[in-house]
Amino acid sequence: MFEVLLNVMAVLGLWLGVEYCLKRETAQSLEDASLIPFADDPEVARRVELATGKTVKAVAPEEARPGWGNLKI
Amino acid sequence: MSTAAIGQAYNYKVVRQFIVATIVWGVVGMAMGVWIASQLVWPEMNLDLPWTTFGRLRPLHTSLVIFGFAGSAQFAASYYAVQRTCQVRLYSDTLAAFTFWGWQSVIVIMLITLPLGYTTTKEYAEIEFTGAVWMTVVWVAYAIVFFTTVVQRKTKHIYVGNWFFGAFIVVIAMLHVVNHLSIPVDWFKSYPVYSGATDAMVQWWYGHNAVGFFLTTGFLGMMYYFVPKQVGRPVYSYRLSIVHFWALITLYIWAGPHHLHYTALPDWAQSLGMAMSLILLAPSWGGMINGMMTLSGAWHKLRTDPILRFLVLSLAFYGMSTFEGPMMAIKTVNALSHYTDWTIGHVHAGALGWVAMITFGAVYHMVPKVFGREQMHSIGLINAHFWLATIGTVLYIASMWVNGITQGLMWRAINDDGTLTYSFVEALQASHPGYVVRFTGGVFFLSGMLLMAYNTWRTVHVADVAMAEREAQIA
Repeated sequence: MFEVLLNVMAVLGLWLGVEYCLKRETAQSLEDASLIPFADDPEVARRVELATGKTVKAVAPEEARPGWGNLKI
Repeated sequence: MSTAAIGQAYNYKVVRQFIVATIVWGVVGMAMGVWIASQLVWPEMNLDLPWTTFGRLRPLHTSLVIFGFAGSAQFAASYYAVQRTCQVRLYSDTLAAFTFWGWQSVIVIMLITLPLGYTTTKEYAEIEFTGAVWMTVVWVAYAIVFFTTVVQRKTKHIYVGNWFFGAFIVVIAMLHVVNHLSIPVDWFKSYPVYSGATDAMVQWWYGHNAVGFFLTTGFLGMMYYFVPKQVGRPVYSYRLSIVHFWALITLYIWAGPHHLHYTALPDWAQSLGMAMSLILLAPSWGGMINGMMTLSGAWHKLRTDPILRFLVLSLAFYGMSTFEGPMMAIKTVNALSHYTDWTIGHVHAGALGWVAMITFGAVYHMVPKVFGREQMHSIGLINAHFWLATIGTVLYIASMWVNGITQGLMWRAINDDGTLTYSFVEALQASHPGYVVRFTGGVFFLSGMLLMAYNTWRTVHVADVAMAEREAQIA
């Protein structure tokens, strides 16, 4: 019986954890997140928009900064 | 926007290097696999040399395909995907280059030391202490490059594929360090700090999660980027992908004891491993369905796109092997399957069907982009590769199923007086046809890999990245 209780608590913990991670996410923010793979290439983004009817906020990537690291300090 | 212009914003050099390494180690590692498969058909293929015996080449085969082929593929894919989904160049070109040369040196260390007989004897962790320490240094550099890039991202959200890559990096570091804790007696020999059943448990906690995190979690990161990209559709359910992530990493780490059923490991630990393995089916299939359903409304693309075919078939094999795994973890099934060729068939359903196929799809997707070409040299050759790989995988796993069940049944057969019905040698003789079919399957698979190497060479050979970049600037 104790083992069953532990298992239920583990599942409950997982469910609460996932819900906590998602609580600030809206349907719109999740949809925006799912479109990230297309968001760095406006040409591809246009094709995805045509196919899905969704809006991809696409921007071309910036040129890299010169130097050893790419970190802004 | 052209891929060449994107190439200036991102560090594609290290991606190109890791792609080439993936193909080179894929060819060498799979050729090694075919060689040792031939040794089980024709024992004289051992060549009567200590360095070329099955016992030394088998760990070399697994190390080359896991760390050389699959490892390089994940470096390439994670570096490619993290830059593009974070819309920022990799942190430090120098450190990224260090991870490439450092990782290749680790593979060369394996290539030299394992045939010479230097080994910890721990499966998938055979590299001796000195090499293992160097491997940790390279891995920490990888973690710094990856996570600093994520921190610097231009996007608000961390894309789910990066969560999988990140978990793969963190957990592999933990597994590698804990399993390799040992006392060195010289540069090439060490003894683990654990002993007895504890040592076995630590090893299979590592061993199972080498499969779970090195050969699954990182590749799921790959799936969440390359399947949507190749289909041209966002992932089916982003919410499900988050549930998939947390459920998978929560459950996988507990499943190791199923490798030690009916051993000196405490019975409760074996049962826990079995139960967690069964529960693991849910997130595994959740992820598989999420990947498959991404093709909703775009299934017709499978008719014309062999790269997408690779990606989708890899998901089918992932679903199949993640169903088979929990079934084999059930103690009564394991009583039949354990120590037989069924296990070898199962691991290759995952290794060839899932890991290698999704790698092929991802590499075919990336090569034209990072080398500044419109597409691969020959789509026909990709198609031929797809069929060679599929036939090879099916021959391999079907022959090992037949062999495994045959061996399991023959080993447990008992006469009325309690004596064994069959000797071990009789079971071995019955397995011989299966070994021939497995060898044939391996040859098919390796032939496909050679086609990929040729196709990539032709694509890269004619690519003029400098010209493509100059043209992009003028445009």
